[in-house]
Amino acid sequence: MTSMDVSVGNGGTGANGNGVHGNGPHSVPTPIAGNRVLEGDLDEKVAVRGVNFYYGDNKALKDITVPLYDRRVTAFIGPSGCGKSTLLRILNRIYDLYPNQRAEGEVLLDGDNILSPSQDINLLRARIGMVFQKPTPFPMSIYENIAFGIRLYERLSKSDLDGRVETALRRAALWNEVKDKMHANGLSLSGGQQQRLCIARTVAVRPDVILLDEPCSALDPISTAKIEELIDELKTEYTIAIVTHNMQQAARVSDFTAFMYLGEMVEFDTTSKMFTSPVDKRTQDYITGRFG
Amino acid sequence: MVDHTHKAFDTDLQDLGRMVSEMGGLAEQQISDAIDALDRRDTVVAQRVIAGDARIDALQREIEEKAILTIARRQPMAVDLREVVGALRISNDLERIGDLAKNISKRVVVIDAEFRSQRVMRGVEHMAEMVLQQIKTVLDAYARRDLQKAQEVWHADEEVDSVNNSLFRELLTYMMEDPRNIGICIHLLFCAKNIERMGDHATNIAETVYYMIEGRPLVDERPKGDTTSSTVVPFDA
Repeated sequence: MTSMDVSVGNGGTGANGNGVHGNGPHSVPTPIAGNRVLEGDLDEKVAVRGVNFYYGDNKALKDITVPLYDRRVTAFIGPSGCGKSTLLRILNRIYDLYPNQRAEGEVLLDGDNILSPSQDINLLRARIGMVFQKPTPFPMSIYENIAFGIRLYERLSKSDLDGRVETALRRAALWNEVKDKMHANGLSLSGGQQQRLCIARTVAVRPDVILLDEPCSALDPISTAKIEELIDELKTEYTIAIVTHNMQQAARVSDFTAFMYLGEMVEFDTTSKMFTSPVDKRTQDYITGRFG
Repeated sequence: MVDHTHKAFDTDLQDLGRMVSEMGGLAEQQISDAIDALDRRDTVVAQRVIAGDARIDALQREIEEKAILTIARRQPMAVDLREVVGALRISNDLERIGDLAKNISKRVVVIDAEFRSQRVMRGVEHMAEMVLQQIKTVLDAYARRDLQKAQEVWHADEEVDSVNNSLFRELLTYMMEDPRNIGICIHLLFCAKNIERMGDHATNIAETVYYMIEGRPLVDERPKGDTTSSTVVPFDA
């Protein structure tokens, strides 16, 4: 793990020395006055270094370099097809499930390359959990939805398991709504509750990193607000990456924002900088709704 | 700049810009009328300036409403956000400039003295001309998004301050010469101060224009020349 002291690390490569701009070498964004995101040490939990990705012959990601900082939220934005979901799929190697898809480069999790063939995929997916666009509860009870994953990795007594299930549901801010119907089918919950159940399931196996792929796009504004509140809570313990089409959501929940376009990392910086004065014209055009 | 995909957003921003420019034009007119009224002691013109301030105030409210509505409906980001915030800030400065012109006119109405000093009036007029030019230039910089012009205005405030300083000393001398001059001189002193304040608002606007274009505040060391707050004139009894 690389530990960087922000007060000395200001080697931005952007035009104004701000953040990462283009595909240059990774650097720490310039602190902005009153920006608490950069207070304290910034540890690079996940380091994506020079990653290329191919769907067959089609190169979907081009030389992507981006950090995910420990216990910070990083948002990935960009038009459809820009590669943001693809990048997320690399981070826990979901792409491995499909033939003809391959990645090049390095993705370091605490310094270890997770793209190496020797990586244990099951362990990796416990450390890097993922929540998808549509809620995907298992067709079983609420309790089992959570306990199922835990049992895969750990052997616990009934009371310990109960405790873990409760903790996970509390962490996902769902406990109060489901504690009296733990044996009801997970699919009987509302969409927003199902999504929080999926987050609880992810949290239950105590991952280091949580990947959220448009977690709110199928939810109403109240459920969305609950998930966003939850993200604020979760980032005190986890490193979070979120892909979202909702620019305001990226602005609300993230500490850092990465803008991708046509498979390239165009700009990466603190969210406050990205949404007030981005450096790259393409970023500006995209976030102000001037694209194309 | 490329248009927004949603065209109505462009219209909103253009409307805001047009309203700010209109307000700026009105403020300029108010200043030159107020100075004209002061020079000729013309209470009719002065009354017109006093009444005209309401239109500037109304425009400021309209800009504020439009800006708030634009933020609520469009959630502007980056350059658009800075544009909306810029319109809000500039309209505040212009509203204050209007108030200052109105204040000068109010003094014209109550000044009732024979005292006339060509030198003082030339000084006041000279200051007013400089400030008017500053305001014209900065509004031009706003309309054209001209970074260099904005910076010129920001740096040029010192000259206004120095004329204000010499007027201050001169008026103090007249007051010491004959206490009957005190009333009018105090009014003229405030008029000069008002004009100097208008210049300060012009530099505020220059800072806003800079921020709108560059996305960061103008933090250079600005030359400051107003020394009237620390000026003393020895009284030889």
